[in-house]
Amino acid sequence: MGSTLLEVRNLKKHFPSTAGWVKAVDGIDLKIEKGKSFGLVGESGCGKSTLIRVMLKLLEPTAGQIFFDGQEITGYSFKEMRALRKEMGMVFEDPHLALNPRMTVFDIISRPLKIHGLARKKGDLTVQVVELLQSMGLQTEHMIRFPHELSGGQKQRIGVARALAVEPQLIFLDEPTSALDVSVQTKILKLLEKARQERDLTFFFISHDINLIRVVADIMGVMYLGKIVEIGPKELLLDDPHHPYTRGLFSAVPEPDPDHSITEIQLTGEVPSPVNPPPGCNFNPRCPHADDRCRVEEPEFRELADGRRVACHLY
Amino acid sequence: MRIEDLQVAFSTEEGPVEALDGVELTIHQGTFHGLIGETGCGKSVTGQTIMGLLDNNARIKKGRIMYREQDLLKLSSRQMERQIRGNEIAMIFQDPGSSLNPLFTIKNQIEEAIKMYRPVPRERREGLILEALQQVKLPDARNLMHRYPHQLSGGMKQRVMIAMMLACNPRLLIADEPTTALDVSIQAQFIKVLKDLKDNLDLTILYITHDLAVISELCDYVSVMYAGRIVENLSMYDLFRDPCHPYTEKLVNSVLGVSTRLDQLEEIPGSVPRLINPPPGCRFHPRCSEVLPVCSQEVPLLKEVKGLHSVACHRR
Repeated sequence: MGSTLLEVRNLKKHFPSTAGWVKAVDGIDLKIEKGKSFGLVGESGCGKSTLIRVMLKLLEPTAGQIFFDGQEITGYSFKEMRALRKEMGMVFEDPHLALNPRMTVFDIISRPLKIHGLARKKGDLTVQVVELLQSMGLQTEHMIRFPHELSGGQKQRIGVARALAVEPQLIFLDEPTSALDVSVQTKILKLLEKARQERDLTFFFISHDINLIRVVADIMGVMYLGKIVEIGPKELLLDDPHHPYTRGLFSAVPEPDPDHSITEIQLTGEVPSPVNPPPGCNFNPRCPHADDRCRVEEPEFRELADGRRVACHLY
Repeated sequence: MRIEDLQVAFSTEEGPVEALDGVELTIHQGTFHGLIGETGCGKSVTGQTIMGLLDNNARIKKGRIMYREQDLLKLSSRQMERQIRGNEIAMIFQDPGSSLNPLFTIKNQIEEAIKMYRPVPRERREGLILEALQQVKLPDARNLMHRYPHQLSGGMKQRVMIAMMLACNPRLLIADEPTTALDVSIQAQFIKVLKDLKDNLDLTILYITHDLAVISELCDYVSVMYAGRIVENLSMYDLFRDPCHPYTEKLVNSVLGVSTRLDQLEEIPGSVPRLINPPPGCRFHPRCSEVLPVCSQEVPLLKEVKGLHSVACHRR
C-alpha cells in the first residue's frame, strides 16, 4: 500500500442556473495512491470534467475538502495554489486548442519551466526542452515549429511534454486520446506509461471511453450524475461489476470482435437532469433492481470485503 | 451500388487535393456495408459524392457511381433532387442537432419529407409518421412528434433522423458517423434500433465510421480506406480474423478493446499523410513495415484474394 497523494472528502460543486442549482459534482469521496493510475469513466454530463477542475482548484468547491500530499488545500488562495501547480499537471482533450498557435514548441514547453523558475541559464532550458521532446519521441528540430505544422498526435505529445516539464507528481488527463486517430493513440499511451514508470508519476484519467480506461488504469471509478457509484481495482470491476449502472454501462460497450455482440440493452432511458436529480439513489429510475428503499434512501458508499467501494443498497 | 474508379479533387489555396483517387467499392442489396478509415481518408467525401452534395470547390475527375443500372454522376442536379436524394438514397450525419430545423416540430419536419418524396394522401401521413417513430423505438410517439428538436436529447434526435428517412422509404441509407456524438449507452440503443430494422426491413446501409467496434456490431462487409484509396474490401469477419493489407492489420490491432494490455496494442509509426502531396506509389508505404522497392513506385491495384475479399498491396 502506497501513501495517499490526493484525497477528496464529500466534495461538491453546484452551479447556479435559471432552473435551479446544477449539482455537477455532488459528494465525492476519493483517495488516489501515489504511483497509481486512476481512471474515471462516465458519460457526458456526469461531472467528471468539473470534478478535476475543482480538484485543481480552477473552480472553487461548494463544499467538501481536498487534500494533496497530506495537506488540506481546500482553502488555499490563488497565490498559495501557484506553488502547488508545479505538482499537478494537466493534459487536455483537444491538442489543437490546448497549444497557443502563436508560440513555438520551444516556447510552449519552456514556459512552465520559466514560470516556476526551474531553469537558471538559457542553455539549461534548451537542454531540458530537448530531453522532454526526446522522451516523447520527437526530435530537436520540432522545437522551432509552430503547432499548425504538427500532426494531431505530435501536438498531443507536445501537450504531454509541457505537463511533464515541471516534474509534477500528479497528472490529470482529460480524454487525452479522443481527438486522435486510432493509429496514433497507442503511441501516446505507450509514451505516457513509460513516463509514468520512469518518473514515478500518478495519473488521473477521465474518459467516456471504457476501452481506454480498461487499458490505462490500475484503479477504476465509475461516475453517474455527480457521484461515484463504484470504485476499485480494474480487474475486479471488469470481471464482476456490482453496481447496476456499472453493469449496464459495460454491457453497452461495443467490442471490436466479430464473435461478440450487444445482446441485451440493460441501460434504458436517459440520464436525468442534474438540476433535479431523483431522490434516494439517483440511478433508481433507470435501475432494474430499484425498490421502495432506493426511491427514498440514498445508499452509502460502502467498502466491500474485496476492496472495492460501491454505492448501492444491494450490497 | 457499384462505385468504379472514382476520383475527386478539391481545389484549395495550397493547390489541388486529391481527396479520392480511384475508389472502387460494391454495396450489395440488403447488407450493411462499413466504410472505415481515419480522419481525412476520404470516407465522408465518398458519401457526399454519392449524394451529389460536394462543395463547390470539388471536381469529379473520373469514375462512375452505378446505382440500379444508371450512373448517378450523369444525372443533373434536378434529377438527383427529384429521383434519387431522399426517396432512393438518404443520408444521416454525425450531428443530429444541426440536421433538424429548430423552428419546426418533429411532425412538421417528417411530414415535409413525406410530401416531397412519397405521394400519399394527406390523411395517411400522420399514420406514416407514427409508424416511423415507433419503428425506431421512440417512446410515446404520439406526443413526441409535437415537440421541437431542442426538447429532445441527442440520441432521440438521431432516431428522429432515422424515422424521417424510413418515412420516405429509401433503398439505401448512407450514415456518416451517426453515433460519434452519442454516449455509449445511447449508442447501444441506437445500434439495437438499426439491427432490428435490418432484420425487419430490406434496408441497405453504407455506414461510414472510424469506430471498428461499431462496425463489428453492425456490418456484413467492410471497405478500408487510406489516404483517398480503398486498400481492402472484405467481410466483417475477415476484417478481424484474416486481414490482408498491412494497414488493415495494424489498424485492427491498434484498436483499444482488442486487448486490455497496452503492450499488446500495435502502433503505426508516423501519421496520416496530407493529400495535398501524397506519397507516390502505395500511399501507405512510408508507414509500412513490409515495404518492397516497388511500393514507392507503382500504385497497387485491388486484387481478389477470395470471393468478395480484395486487397491493394504489392505483397499479396
